[in-house]
Amino acid sequence: MSGTVEIIATFAGEEQCVGGIEALRAARAEDFHVFAPIPSEHIEKAIGRRRSPVRAFVLIGGILGVLTGLAITIGTSREWNMVAGGKPIISWPPFIIICFELMILFGGIAAVLSFLLSAQVPAFESLPGYSSRFCGDRFGVAVRCEETEAQKIESILGVAGAEEVRRAQAQPSAAIVDLRDG
Amino acid sequence: MTANSEPVRPAAPRASRGARGFAPLAGNSQRAVLAVLVAAGIAGFAAALERGEAARAWQAYLVNLLFFLGVAQGGVVVAAAFYLTQARWAGAAAFRLAEAFSGFLPLGFLLFWGLYFGRTLIFPWVLHPVAQKAAWLNTPFLFARDGIGLLAMTLLSTWLVRVSRSRRARAWATDSSDIAMPPPAIRRLAPALALAFAAVYSLIAFDLVMSLAPVWHSTLFGAYFFAASFLSALAAMALTAVILRGRLGPANAFTMPKVLHDLGKLVFAFSVFWIYLLFAQYIVIWYGDIPVETFFIVQRVYYAPWAPLSYAAVILIFVVPFVVLLGARPKRTPPILGAVAAGVLAGIWLERYVLVVPSLSQHVVPFGWIELLISLGFLGGFVLCVITGLNMAAAAARWELPAEGH
Repeated sequence: MSGTVEIIATFAGEEQCVGGIEALRAARAEDFHVFAPIPSEHIEKAIGRRRSPVRAFVLIGGILGVLTGLAITIGTSREWNMVAGGKPIISWPPFIIICFELMILFGGIAAVLSFLLSAQVPAFESLPGYSSRFCGDRFGVAVRCEETEAQKIESILGVAGAEEVRRAQAQPSAAIVDLRDG
Repeated sequence: MTANSEPVRPAAPRASRGARGFAPLAGNSQRAVLAVLVAAGIAGFAAALERGEAARAWQAYLVNLLFFLGVAQGGVVVAAAFYLTQARWAGAAAFRLAEAFSGFLPLGFLLFWGLYFGRTLIFPWVLHPVAQKAAWLNTPFLFARDGIGLLAMTLLSTWLVRVSRSRRARAWATDSSDIAMPPPAIRRLAPALALAFAAVYSLIAFDLVMSLAPVWHSTLFGAYFFAASFLSALAAMALTAVILRGRLGPANAFTMPKVLHDLGKLVFAFSVFWIYLLFAQYIVIWYGDIPVETFFIVQRVYYAPWAPLSYAAVILIFVVPFVVLLGARPKRTPPILGAVAAGVLAGIWLERYVLVVPSLSQHVVPFGWIELLISLGFLGGFVLCVITGLNMAAAAARWELPAEGH
């Protein structure tokens, strides 16, 4: 990994940052991550982020919840064959409530867990290139590229309106998390 | 209608030349067709009385009165809700659209008094008083309390609509970058109207629907009834937006996908709320299993001829909107949204029919030319009353576009 460098560009505003991301992607430099002090729809769009997988896990959790609800209600009713109020052993109206509540519960838990997993939080080490300003009033873009490419990337970021472009030696790649997957 | 039909045309800043005479729905031929419908309705009503079918005529009258009054009043409450939540996602157009139906309120108030002449055929307790409830269910008290309630609603609604159509309120609704609150009169009227709606329409539900089966009672029924009215207004708004979008030229508020998307979300949300309230009543009655409570449900849900109609209503009001409008794309596709909204409206009409008629006609579904003509007459009268409001909504959609955003 000797030939890899990390270029960190700082942007004053969301629009410039979006411009920088678009310029990078136009130049086929896709190995970057973005730091933003605010959640930004435009930046997400510019990154071309995939749809979050959390939604699929919520659906699975919800379906599992309904099935669990049916299993609990029907199972206990059959195990405990007791006629109450002249109603059938398996009376569905109150079962709906149990199934509904378990659907919400399982769906909610699935949402939280799958969010934590897919966002890889909690993270105890900050990403390379992070600066506390990126939680304040600045946007940052950190690009990993070959040393030979670095000059070109730096000029692209500069043209896009970066306030400051600096170069850092890249750290071992295993520690770097690509935000686009989260 | 007098107060509402004032020419408060939006003097659109960007295109003042066209705004004043802009009335895509006011053609004389359209009005003539509507007038023919009204005449057919009146003729059908008279013919039914003539042929000794007075009971059916009055049932159809009550069903349609409840339905159209619900749409008209629900619409004003939707506008009040938009003010309470400071909803400016569709600019002034959403407010004009919600208020458009209020033109029917004065007529609806008059038609309510028509029930007085059919009281012996509509209310079983007029001829056979229920001893324990006589203090509440008697003719003078019922018409006095409901008449006062509806009068108050009509006045409050007319007042809100009038303020809401003022230049200041329109400017507020169009400019969502202005974080100021709505005009002061609206800040006082909107919550008052919302609370009064809950109270008066609960009363209407208890008096004009529940009392048709005078021994039956359900505490939640009032809330269920006014929530359905609110939903019917939202569905009518979505349907109207879909109908209007093609008639207003290339760029208007209703061609913006986000506006249709939001209307679709509202229909979806309140359709879920409707089934929630329905189930909340059902489960309590089911658990209790007391004959005096269950007979109302049993008759409608378990036995022919009413059971298929009840299921059809649930499918139209809940199942179809839930399945179809779950995703974002169907909400943004005008024909799909329009069809679902029309289905919800048909479903709520059917629901009112199933709530009212089985109490009076237990084993037969009375539906024929009498019901059809009277319903068409109501529809014609309703559209005639709201056409001015719809033209204002069209003008707002055309010239008072919301700011681009989300």
